[in-house]
Amino acid sequence: MPSTEDGTPVLEHAHDHDHAHADHLHDHDHDHHDHGSGRFALGPWSLLLPIFAALLLRNRIGWFEGETVRLWSTLFVSVCVQAVPFLVLGVVISGLIAAFVSPDLVERLVPKRPVFAVPSAGLAGMALPGCECGSVPIAGRLVSAGTPPAAALTFLLAAPAINPVVLISTAVAFPGEGRLVLARFLASLIAAMAVGSWWARRNDESLLAQLRHEHEREGSRWSEFIDVAARDLVHAGGYLVLGAMAAATLQLIVPRSALDVVADNELLSVLMFAGLAILLSICSEADAFVAAGLPQFSLTSRLVFLVVGPVIDLKLVAMHAGVFGRRFAAIFAPVTLLVAVISAVVIGQVLL
Amino acid sequence: MNRLGRGAIMMCLGVVLGRLLWTGGFGWFVQQRMRWPLILATVVLLILGGIECVRAVNEERDAPDKAARSVAPSIGWMLILPLVVLLSVAPTGLGAAAADRVDAYVPTEQNNPFEPLPESGLVEMRVFDFLDRAVWDKERSLEGREVRLEGLVVNDPDIPDGFRLTRFSVSCCAADGIPLQVALRDTGAPLKNDTWVIADVVWLPPAVPYTETEGEWVIEAEVRALQIAPAGVPNDPYESPY
Repeated sequence: MPSTEDGTPVLEHAHDHDHAHADHLHDHDHDHHDHGSGRFALGPWSLLLPIFAALLLRNRIGWFEGETVRLWSTLFVSVCVQAVPFLVLGVVISGLIAAFVSPDLVERLVPKRPVFAVPSAGLAGMALPGCECGSVPIAGRLVSAGTPPAAALTFLLAAPAINPVVLISTAVAFPGEGRLVLARFLASLIAAMAVGSWWARRNDESLLAQLRHEHEREGSRWSEFIDVAARDLVHAGGYLVLGAMAAATLQLIVPRSALDVVADNELLSVLMFAGLAILLSICSEADAFVAAGLPQFSLTSRLVFLVVGPVIDLKLVAMHAGVFGRRFAAIFAPVTLLVAVISAVVIGQVLL
Repeated sequence: MNRLGRGAIMMCLGVVLGRLLWTGGFGWFVQQRMRWPLILATVVLLILGGIECVRAVNEERDAPDKAARSVAPSIGWMLILPLVVLLSVAPTGLGAAAADRVDAYVPTEQNNPFEPLPESGLVEMRVFDFLDRAVWDKERSLEGREVRLEGLVVNDPDIPDGFRLTRFSVSCCAADGIPLQVALRDTGAPLKNDTWVIADVVWLPPAVPYTETEGEWVIEAEVRALQIAPAGVPNDPYESPY
């Protein structure tokens, strides 16, 4: 079988790819539509249709001029534009994992016992600068490459919350509140490890079945890299767009200013901030500035916002459902939310 | 989604981002410091998309049955939506509509003493710095000084003789924008919402310092307009909290 040795692997071996390959990490529901329907499959030329429609509609219809539509569009496009560089970084890493990290290597690098694997995966999260959109495809590929799911999920939750970029922006947003930065770091890390340990106990492989395809590498490593990066980008990106639409819509429905009513009640404000974190879907690098802008609330309730936001929000639920499967997301989201809230409240009580 | 579709949608995304970078329009959606990450992402998208398209064309020639098979889930087609929205609605960033929905910035406590202002003459200032100084400067260095602020007009029935001069603070993307507002009085002829202006103003100090008002703070920095000139959209429409 031909392989890397000849200098032009990518084009040469494109046709060597087979289905087992492409089947890796993706949503079967969607694929069934695409499959076997050569006639009905959307070709690339159908991309032109929505674009023409958009150009025709432009300036024709009054409501495209409406303030709300314009604001929604601004929010929607911003969330997408902001996420794309992190998503691209994420899929480049996931492509490298798929192409160059063999299960044997994972076995040697990742400790076998969850007691060691989970904390080290949590701390490894510090090494990925950026926000949450990039870590979803990476975690998916880590599982495919043979990482114990408990460790990959710990990484998924820890990376967007405790990396240096996020901690520095938290420190900038809350000058003189060093303890809040520490509290955020600890609460997020503990929450991530708790969810990881929960998964290690539960160990329900069936939920992650869609990631566990037997996978034979065909073509060169670089060809594999391009294939996986492209696939993950289109896959996770599609769900990201879906999540961005939901986030833009809820930002309009839930105004950030109508919240003063609950400021005096600690329990209500904790619940409200957990809800806001989910609905607003603000990037983990930016959420501290939003929290800093609501000084009428206690630090603990705002800590809940900073701990919940990076691990679970609308766009993340959409991406989890896409990359890991819907059944997984339906169980993972509520558990993560609960653990994050508890961890933030406890750490907040102790430290703040 | 077959291989050609996958390549095409990545190229599309790359072209959209490239265009936003070229025109500077990305500044409406994200902070300026995202420029380099965006440039890199655009390059990767164009390269990946280009390679995929070439591979797809070769496949089409060599093995047409393979070329038709699915290599990515249909959800990927959603990636065309940002382009559709940019073309049809042509959104132009945060303005009056957004300012009405979000509470304005309340300066967090600042360390005294503040950097001294230039001895004399007009001082150009970010709205951010103006608010911090107005609220927290014990020396009241702004008093009597002529200050130049740049922002857009947000009309408010509570300010019949003026408007709220508004600039947004954006740390990552427009979705986390927080309005920075100054109540501008004596502005003369009314201006339309979302008009960009350069305003030379003088601070009107409150009778009781903002931070010593009873109960909840009412922080509304008021200024009197000396001169207001309509302006174009600045290169960087948002201020950064960093």
